[in-house]
Amino acid sequence: MLDTVVTPLRSLWDNLIERLFFLPPFPESIDSLALFSLLLVVGLLIGEWLHKHAGWPKVIGYVLAGTLFGPAVLGWISIEALAQARPIADAALGLLMMEVGRRLDLGWLFRNRELLRSTSADIGLSFILIFGFALWLVGLSPAWAAATAAVTMASAPAVVLLTVEEAKAQGQVTERIILHTAIGAAASFIAFTVVLGVVHAELSEDWLNALIHPLWVAAGALLVAGIGTWLALTIARSLPKRSLAQVFVLVACAMLAVGIARMLAVPVFLTLFLMGVLLASRDRQQTLRYTQLPEGHWLLAIILFVIVGASLPWQDFTWLAGLQALGLLVVRAVAKVGALSWSGGSLPLPKRVLVGMGIQPLSATAVFMAYEIAALYPEVGRSALTLPLFAAVIMELAGPALCRLALVKSGECESGNRGSGGIA
Amino acid sequence: MNDKPLGEFKDSAALSLGVELELQLVSRRDFDLTRAATDLIGSLDYDQRYGEIKLEITESMIEISTQPQPTVDGIAADLGGLRDTLRSHCERHNIQVCGGGTHPFHHWPERRICPGERFNDLYQRYGYLAKQFTVFGQHIHVGCTSADDAIWLTQALGVHVPAFIALSASSPFVDGVDSFYQSARLNAVSAFPLSGQCPALNSWEEFREHFGFLQACGIAQGIKDLYWDVRPKPEFGTVEIRVCDTPLSIEQATSLAALAQSLARWLLRTRPALHTAKQAFVARYNKFQACRYGMEAMISDPVALCQQPLKQSVANLLESLSEDARALNCEHWLNPLRLAVADGTGDAAWLRARQDKHGNLNDVVREASDRLMRHSAQSPEKMR
Repeated sequence: MLDTVVTPLRSLWDNLIERLFFLPPFPESIDSLALFSLLLVVGLLIGEWLHKHAGWPKVIGYVLAGTLFGPAVLGWISIEALAQARPIADAALGLLMMEVGRRLDLGWLFRNRELLRSTSADIGLSFILIFGFALWLVGLSPAWAAATAAVTMASAPAVVLLTVEEAKAQGQVTERIILHTAIGAAASFIAFTVVLGVVHAELSEDWLNALIHPLWVAAGALLVAGIGTWLALTIARSLPKRSLAQVFVLVACAMLAVGIARMLAVPVFLTLFLMGVLLASRDRQQTLRYTQLPEGHWLLAIILFVIVGASLPWQDFTWLAGLQALGLLVVRAVAKVGALSWSGGSLPLPKRVLVGMGIQPLSATAVFMAYEIAALYPEVGRSALTLPLFAAVIMELAGPALCRLALVKSGECESGNRGSGGIA
Repeated sequence: MNDKPLGEFKDSAALSLGVELELQLVSRRDFDLTRAATDLIGSLDYDQRYGEIKLEITESMIEISTQPQPTVDGIAADLGGLRDTLRSHCERHNIQVCGGGTHPFHHWPERRICPGERFNDLYQRYGYLAKQFTVFGQHIHVGCTSADDAIWLTQALGVHVPAFIALSASSPFVDGVDSFYQSARLNAVSAFPLSGQCPALNSWEEFREHFGFLQACGIAQGIKDLYWDVRPKPEFGTVEIRVCDTPLSIEQATSLAALAQSLARWLLRTRPALHTAKQAFVARYNKFQACRYGMEAMISDPVALCQQPLKQSVANLLESLSEDARALNCEHWLNPLRLAVADGTGDAAWLRARQDKHGNLNDVVREASDRLMRHSAQSPEKMR
């Protein structure tokens, strides 16, 4: 479809270039800045339209925009363009992961031991049930079943943060959704690191990679995160608290960490999550504690979800894969809601169930993790990880809606109804 | 309109005390106000031994109220018990509680009205004022043995409103800026149509007639609609002093209760002449002076036709109350007030000093919250 427009343009250009020698050669690919702008505007428009007319979370619109214009449907965003936009996606995911890391409040677990029980139950049950489903019902090998469980066990930090922000939700259900998401992310990253070694051990006879790769990922991410944190805190200490200059320092140090992580082939999501955790735990003088990311970082998040939408493997869809993914999501939902129903004290059961519903999203981090693992052994990895990728496909659309529904049902969202005595 | 009958004045033990404190619920992440009250109350596992913990108009507020107590030490014990109960429950919810008359930097449009018919009615009636009413005060009830005494005491205490304002002032910051006031909280209260002073009424009968008049005119439905600085509370059998900011510590709140009890005893014992009609002309000015300047206020005397420095008159008053405070066994609670008057220190000055030190208001709230939650040297059990 794109060719019908481009081909006559190219021939016209080629004719002109013979006479107008200042013209550059016909541009074969779109400039990255132009692509960035297009993705932003298209994602924004679809997200806003769906939000206004159907009341859906905007994230769904961004993902649908990516899917529509991506390689699977219209093909306007090519695979090359996706690769070109990847640094922007990494930056966006990095900032969101850093924010989730900053919100990981381990102290709360010790002030409320019931939460320790509920988060452990969520992590443990999710991993075990998904692993068992993938191993025995789908028939994956132990290594790929573990990889599937590691990738899908946690909620989606980026989706949860965006949905909470969009709904302006505040309260115990919201706070616990964020806590479970952050702790689940930490657990899934640990599982992911271990699984890297397991996959190497199963698919390669070279034991060195099985040992060193997980260490490289863990130590590398920690080192880069540590450098980023140290730099951010050291520079920020000389600046006024909550100043714009501190915001720039925070974002710049985060981008530096993203860049170094990409250079060292260390997962960006893990590095920036660790940087967030370190920023929250090492900041004893509250230097950056109150410094918030600029509103603009949500623009990057739009790009992230358009790219995630375009990266989803719709073209590989089969009914069997779809059913298996649905089965995985049911098992995962049972694990999470079951864990929350069993524990999570100081909150009534219906609200705990809502927390379980709110942590259902599965999105960018899972997709990126799956691609990281699949890239190790491309010949088998992509097909072996079809299951988590299709689960992510389904949850890209259902996850934000479930999270929003949980927040609305909890009564913690800002209400636009002026007559109801809510928020005017 | 659902008019609530005034009912009879329920006599209570002379000079018995009750204290209500409106407290701030803040996020541990950034120390801004947060939506937490209904969740907190909903999960409260508490047998009300120290008094009640209740919702207030917005979700970022909570009210604690002690049991009626004959002594100030009893009030201290209840407030300590309520503070400890709140601390443990708030820790489980990952929030903190803070004192102070205003939250220094919250954004009032973000506040949420608590569920409930009364709160919704208030929101519908007063609109945005209901959200701006996210300010935090201390109310002190003093028991009276007769309705006429309660009306007399209401008028007599009215003269001392500037002293209570200045001694409790803890709201210098509003919307993230220094208001220049020592107590900016009362400016939010002043916007309500039934705020201000009790009119010049001399007996319970006159009060009944006045209240009936307000009901007939459709101005007030119940006694709760009267946001007066000092008002009688017939169902409790008390007079309620409502002008204090919530102090930054339980101990300061207890000292203010001691002042109220000693002052009420002194007033009822000495029965000074009241010039209610003349006082009405200067009351608003004197209140402004105390809110704006605290102890540095100049208070107009409508009888002597001059101005007096509030600092001097409060120091004299505290001296005059010594005998009554000793009789009530609460003089040790007046000493911190004497010290604050002499040194010119107070909660508003403390908050400004923390702002000067940190350069941001998040850290000010963090430290203020720690200050409220700190255990006092004397445990409530010992004080009982």
